[in-house]
Amino acid sequence: MSENNHLKNLLNNKMQRRTFLKWSGAIGIPVIAGGIGTKMLVDHKEETKKAVAKDNEKIISTCSINNCGGRCVIKAHVKDGVVVRVSTDTQPGGDLSTPPLRACVRGRNYRSLLYHPDRLKFPMKRIGKRGEGKFERISWDEAIETIASKVKRIGDKYGPESRYVNYASGQSWGLHGGKSAARKLLALTGGYLNARNDYSSGAGNVATPYTYGTNNSGSSFDSLLHSKLIILWGQNPSEMIFSTPYREYLMQAKKNGTKIIVIDPRYTDTAIAFADEWIPILPTTDTALMDAMGYVIVTEKLHDQAFLDKYCIGFDGDHMPDGVAKEESLQNYLLGEKDGVPKTPEWAEQICGVSAAKIREIAREYANTKPAALIQGWAAQRQAYGEQFMRGGAQLACLTGNVGKLGGWAAGTGYWSRSDIVYPFSVENPVKASIPCFLWTTAVEKGTEMTATDGLVGTDKLTTNIKAIFNMAGNMLINQHADINKTRKLLEDESKVEFIVVSDLFMTPSAKYADILLPGTTFFERYDIGVPWCFGDYVVFGDKTIDPLYECRDEYDVFAEIAGKLGVKEKFTEGRSTLDLVKESVERTKKELDPNFPTFEEFRKQGVHHFKYDEPLVGFKDQIDDLEKNPFETPSGKIELFSKALWDMNQHEEIPAIAKYISSWEGPEDPLINEFPLQLISWHYKRRCHSTYDNQEWLEEAAKQEMWLNPNDADKRGIKNGDRVQVFNERGSLLIDVKVTPRITPGVAGIPQGAWYTPDKNGLDQRGSVNVLTSQRPTALAKANPQLTNLVEVKKA
Amino acid sequence: MTLTKSIHTQLQPFMQSRQNFYKILYSLFLDPTNEEILFEIGTLVNFGELEEFHEGGGILACFFAQLTTENYRLEIEEYHRLFVGPGYLAAPPWESFYRSKDHLLFDDCMLQIRDQYHQFGLKFIKENNEPDDHLLLELEFMIHLSDLCLQPSETDEILELISSQIHLHQEHLSIWIPNFCDRVIDHTKSQLYIGAAMLLKDFINYDLASLLEIREALANV
Repeated sequence: MSENNHLKNLLNNKMQRRTFLKWSGAIGIPVIAGGIGTKMLVDHKEETKKAVAKDNEKIISTCSINNCGGRCVIKAHVKDGVVVRVSTDTQPGGDLSTPPLRACVRGRNYRSLLYHPDRLKFPMKRIGKRGEGKFERISWDEAIETIASKVKRIGDKYGPESRYVNYASGQSWGLHGGKSAARKLLALTGGYLNARNDYSSGAGNVATPYTYGTNNSGSSFDSLLHSKLIILWGQNPSEMIFSTPYREYLMQAKKNGTKIIVIDPRYTDTAIAFADEWIPILPTTDTALMDAMGYVIVTEKLHDQAFLDKYCIGFDGDHMPDGVAKEESLQNYLLGEKDGVPKTPEWAEQICGVSAAKIREIAREYANTKPAALIQGWAAQRQAYGEQFMRGGAQLACLTGNVGKLGGWAAGTGYWSRSDIVYPFSVENPVKASIPCFLWTTAVEKGTEMTATDGLVGTDKLTTNIKAIFNMAGNMLINQHADINKTRKLLEDESKVEFIVVSDLFMTPSAKYADILLPGTTFFERYDIGVPWCFGDYVVFGDKTIDPLYECRDEYDVFAEIAGKLGVKEKFTEGRSTLDLVKESVERTKKELDPNFPTFEEFRKQGVHHFKYDEPLVGFKDQIDDLEKNPFETPSGKIELFSKALWDMNQHEEIPAIAKYISSWEGPEDPLINEFPLQLISWHYKRRCHSTYDNQEWLEEAAKQEMWLNPNDADKRGIKNGDRVQVFNERGSLLIDVKVTPRITPGVAGIPQGAWYTPDKNGLDQRGSVNVLTSQRPTALAKANPQLTNLVEVKKA
Repeated sequence: MTLTKSIHTQLQPFMQSRQNFYKILYSLFLDPTNEEILFEIGTLVNFGELEEFHEGGGILACFFAQLTTENYRLEIEEYHRLFVGPGYLAAPPWESFYRSKDHLLFDDCMLQIRDQYHQFGLKFIKENNEPDDHLLLELEFMIHLSDLCLQPSETDEILELISSQIHLHQEHLSIWIPNFCDRVIDHTKSQLYIGAAMLLKDFINYDLASLLEIREALANV
């Protein structure tokens, strides 16, 4: 009894003095009679079953389909319905016919992406001004109803050309995704304005076919094991993964004793890992260096005359197209016989900053080392005259006869592909009108004024400006498009684009401009098949690892439901789920393309399929072996160093018929350089895939967002390593920390592309989002993005 | 029997009080969007009585005295900015965020609290769809456990239930909720959420201390 008194004592005396009990007393009993509302914890009667399953960790093999060039194997370790960790391909290396597809630092971060607290979790509608970032949670019913009625209303009012699915690449290398789902819905309800080309190799995609008739000018990477010399010109596969196993082949080539030269304004990770020699160069001047190399090769008679005679149009006066004067030949241009400017190494040195002696050396080395692979990256074609760079590389490959030969490389855009699968979800748009994807802001502003000169095809004239935009898993709506400040104003004007739908994983800068914002799924939460860019003999199974979190949904399902509202659901799905699409792809691939392709269950179990070949694929081998039987896909059937089609456009200054150095606006020869003395480039950073993952803390630890500046340029401005600086030009201004390093050419500043635009109240970007500084002026021929052509000034912040 | 009944009777007011307090805290952190929840709390709870004991209580009393339909709207926005999104969450209301190395959701501690729910025959209605360690779920679980204490039972059972609540505190609530509350206080100007966070933080602390004392006293019965 005395103990009971102890309790009584405690409750009556000590506890009563405790303030909280006084509070409770003060508040009164009972306070909220009705309890706590809806109970979220409910009866659970499956104890035993659960207990058995508890200890078993399941490993599910899956794959991301973002716009990385590679596809790696992601193994999700799942316990009790939760991904507890991820690992990657554990297959040993060594056998290059089945190279391991291992994740890089980005792939290792995927669990953080999946379970990040900032995931978009519920559908939202905008409640503030557009871009202000104020949203309110809505039901899926409301979201779907709103989208269905706007799609219809805007289509009825302005016509189908008013509806546009923006270029986006967050889900781009699988069987389905937001972009194709939105296009399908619009196609089934009247159509939409088409967009063509891309932001990656936009100038090259249009230019290279004028030379070769196709962009498939590459060879399989195993061919590099036969090269004696490899020149990586503006290509950085150590950070920008073109294909997961590419580096294995470069490593092996290096072991074989192949010399590797890297030409780049930056001493990249690729240069560190692979290069015997790094040649720094000023941005926008690559074609001057190419011209001078051509000059050396031709004047020293190192060129392959027989190859040029047999396969090419336009090298010399004897091989010109009908109706074009002999003086217009490539040889004449290089020797300066018409324009009076011989493209000597001394001439080029003044422009590009590479010494004449070095130019002679590499020209001779490239011409004398057979076979040699000149491989072009795409950085130097995201420039004002990027088309010239792309055709210029091809021109050098032809001068040296390296086309169609094992261990050589034809240069140009450089796609190669020999392994394919069936894509069962397809779209047929009744609208034929098409714009270059980079000009979408023009089509919003003054679409009806666009003509063929602006790259409009399929119609003479658009009937309307763009009025509704679907931006699915993409950041081109503002962050990745050029000139953010200009784009921002355009989007903020709600009378221009009347309706914007965004689907994404996070509140990206583009998502802020949504009227309806949809929470998408990660690859863990859906079925798919991942394919690499146009370089690789493998496909990766994308298994659904867990059910979608929160109220996140696959765009395929969302748009199928919208299609239902508009009476076209059956046409949209044809009765298929995304899992059915995967199964159909596997079955039809096996039946129609490759009997060795695994069954669905085999593929799922293996997680990956390697297509096997007896020998390397050599770009244009068929044409070189037998030109008559296998002509090039050009108008002449030959390689067109001189393109009559380009000549006939009659804009010879900016669109020459042969590749020429054209002095660039906002290049080192533009007088504007007196006001803004630094050339600004950007690169694909190892911590991001374009702008994807910018909010991922791990990856920021791996590689911080910072600008590179040469010590010479930093000293002149009193800037020290680690300082915060302001970078500005007439288009905008941003703040960023500086890395002062001799790894970048003097006169050049480099900002990793893809950082999320984060303006303060005055519009000053705080994160170093490079497109605050880039221009919307398109390239001359392709109307592509020139985002590596910028002049800026830098000062301490 | 008499003794047991007596213990249960003696504990009743204490258990009832703390349960009520948890209910108030729970209500303060409910999404205010679709209901008149704040007006209801303002009417039912006399925060004025709290003013003299606690700074947070004073802030809340002041807030509820001035609550209007107009500033209600601002509180909804603030709730979403802090706890719902879209976008960067100033104070994510999940235990895992505070306890996992990389500030992620669905981490080990979430699986542990899920186990506790299961042990008591409960399950989160959205298990594996949303995390099980949301503030409101853990408070709901505590309310559930305290409710069990209110039902007539043997001293051993009461002791066991009190131990379970102490366990819940020591393994979960008392570990992360103070950090969460600090984060709310640092990231908002809302009097509602500053006051609520102050109250929650201190209450968790006092509740654990009290339960420990009661367990000690009961062990000697």
